[in-house]
Amino acid sequence: MIFAVERVFPLPAIQQIFSLKPKKQLMKILQIILLFLASIAYAGGIKSSAEVKIRSQFDVKAKLIFKKYTIPADKKSAIEKRCRQRFYRGKVYVWEIRFENAPPSIAVLDNVPGKAMPITFMVIFDWDGAVRFVDIIKYRESIGGAVANRRWLRQFEGWRAASQELLKNKIDGLSGATISANSIIAGVQKLALLFPEIKKEIDNANFSTQVTE
Amino acid sequence: MKHELCRRLSNLFPVLVFLFCCAAPTSAQDEFFEPSTTLGGYGELHYNLEDTDQSPAEKKLDFHRFVLFYSHSWTEKWSFKAEVELEHNFVTTGKGELGLEQAAINYRHSEAFGFQAGVVLPSIGLLNELHEPPVFLSVERPDYSKYIIPTTWAGNGVSLFGKKNGFDYKLTVMEGLNADAISNESGIRGARLKGYQADARELLYTGRLNYIAIPGFLTGLSFTKTKAMGTVQDIPLTLMEFHGQVRKKGIHANFEWGGIDYDKGSLQKSRGFYFDLGYDMAAKTGFSGALIPWFRFADYNTAASTSAGGDSEEAQRYSKWLMGLTLKPIDEVVFKIEYGYQKNGLTDREQRLFNLGAGYMF
Repeated sequence: MIFAVERVFPLPAIQQIFSLKPKKQLMKILQIILLFLASIAYAGGIKSSAEVKIRSQFDVKAKLIFKKYTIPADKKSAIEKRCRQRFYRGKVYVWEIRFENAPPSIAVLDNVPGKAMPITFMVIFDWDGAVRFVDIIKYRESIGGAVANRRWLRQFEGWRAASQELLKNKIDGLSGATISANSIIAGVQKLALLFPEIKKEIDNANFSTQVTE
Repeated sequence: MKHELCRRLSNLFPVLVFLFCCAAPTSAQDEFFEPSTTLGGYGELHYNLEDTDQSPAEKKLDFHRFVLFYSHSWTEKWSFKAEVELEHNFVTTGKGELGLEQAAINYRHSEAFGFQAGVVLPSIGLLNELHEPPVFLSVERPDYSKYIIPTTWAGNGVSLFGKKNGFDYKLTVMEGLNADAISNESGIRGARLKGYQADARELLYTGRLNYIAIPGFLTGLSFTKTKAMGTVQDIPLTLMEFHGQVRKKGIHANFEWGGIDYDKGSLQKSRGFYFDLGYDMAAKTGFSGALIPWFRFADYNTAASTSAGGDSEEAQRYSKWLMGLTLKPIDEVVFKIEYGYQKNGLTDREQRLFNLGAGYMF
């Protein structure tokens, strides 16, 4: 990419742009804009994006153990009926976040449906099942992106599936993002109901190890 | 010659790189996305009663809208979205309506930039883009969203859109308006070309900016400019509106104000506003859905200023208040009941209004 920029616009001669005629100035600026847009056309993978977000929530010494967790069929069906939302597939991405002298936390990643495109999101749970952190890993729709607002997502923190308070009553609506917001609320509830199954598997030490340092 | 060839290639190089990156996004896809087709839609049944002391009550039962939405996503960046709408159950000469409400190729390059091309919805007002029945409180859309902002306003054109630093924008260039159909009674509502072999001699330009950084609050404004073309005269006009919305702690509130200025012809200005205020009692009652009592006040005049003045202005002025109850047993289904009065500025005649509605979206 640096080669491409230099090919178009020699870096040491940055001041030369302003000595060019207006038409040539505009051409050079347009070329730089196009290259900039091209450079951000490629995004990182979902897994690596999620791990960056997980690491941002914990101490650098935490060890991440990754697994594609297969949801037991009977639990999947029951949770989907209760939340009125399907899991994207029969598996979700799970990370056990291990600490030296504290119980682990668990991150779970799945999709929820947007109006036309799926929204990839992640929930991090404390070992007691409380929601610690929610984030949108990838939002693909052209409207309704307000669900990625951190202040809105912070409302989920502390909620448990066993809570008497309905999750939808705890979360304020979102102007201009009704469908996406309702989808995320159902999605968080869905993963919170799945959490005990994942925790059981970790407890039984059945978690296979694909360690991410 | 060699120098000229190198110069031309260096100018083309970034364009080619950019086009390649748009056309080959597969490196950004992963197992959380696969090409898919989605079917959706919304619809609403209305019972309308209008009653005055001077005439028998008018009562109507009407499946006002049946809309099918479908989309296909080829990649995470490229998709197609369409909506087909049938109004009033069926179409025959002079009755009902069947039309394309959306049919656009969408490209979402990033959060900050995307574009659409096809039958697009300009982003003007709160309801032109998002108007599924469970999204607004009343049985009918606000009169402001009919006579000042003529929703659903769709047409052939292109849009740019994106979100950055708490702001959300959309710019649209699309077909213009028919000056012959602009009237005191309906403002620009009848002037929409609706995409049918639209006259493109003069296009319509509109831009909207919203501030969305605070969850539960939305505020913004838009500006629209065009020259409506006609057989008798062409009418340059501008439309400015601003809007606000609150969805926080159970409060449901909308406010919109809009004005159209016409630079030629006997009609000079259209003006209007409304505000809605409701409160979701679900949390207090333990109900798992939404239960929202609400109130609306609206005032609009499609002929707020005319060259003739006087009665021609007052005749098109309406003020209305409504109160109602909106029930959503689940987010996608809504039942509505409302009661209110509408008053005409010239006759002072009051119409009593009673409406029932059932709506859905999926």
